Amino acid sequence: MPTEPLTNEVRLLRFLAQDMTQAELGQRVGLTRQTIAAIEQGRYSPSLEVAFRIADVFGKRLEEVFHWNPGATAKTADAK
Amino acid sequence: MPSFEKRAWLSLWSQCPPYIVYFLIQGLMPTVFTTFLERIACLAVVASVHAIAYLVGLALMKRQERGEPLLLDERDRAIDGRATRIAYFVLLTGMIVVGVVMPFTDTGWKITNTALFAIVLAETVRDVLIVTGYRGKARLAH
Repeated sequence: MPTEPLTNEVRLLRFLAQDMTQAELGQRVGLTRQTIAAIEQGRYSPSLEVAFRIADVFGKRLEEVFHWNPGATAKTADAK
Repeated sequence: MPSFEKRAWLSLWSQCPPYIVYFLIQGLMPTVFTTFLERIACLAVVASVHAIAYLVGLALMKRQERGEPLLLDERDRAIDGRATRIAYFVLLTGMIVVGVVMPFTDTGWKITNTALFAIVLAETVRDVLIVTGYRGKARLAH
């Protein structure tokens, strides 16, 4: 069972998209390379708008890229 | 390393050493600077060292970045917002101590130095929280 409440397939989808770089994906969705890395590592949960943009880059639906795990209890430093 | 984190490190390293020296002198050797002019000169030197170190570091950083503007994305803004909010409460607490309590218990330079300490502490807390926001393991949510 995943320990993170929000997991994603961004790294896998980048690999499948002809090994797209983090910088390239970041440029296409308006984020820095470091933020894409943080999303992939589960250290940052993006806004809904950015999540949709990422899914759109790969031509996928949101739920195919990001997965919500209700039972997970990860430590969160809430930004709001 | 993100540009915003680099700036936080620069702010920490340019600010902390001179002010640590200043507060050590003021706290441990109160007889070194006694007159108003001596004390204000000491503060001016410390503030100048801080400003020069920061500006030189910033100029070097901008040269390294080849003049590209600092672009912040939503994660940078989230980290900044969280750090600034917590630092604000540190500053608020310091100002309450300085402006509400100390006028009845202390005078002169003790109040000035406590106010200065609160400002430096708040700024340091903000920089430390920015750095840990980028490096910490805890998940940051937008």
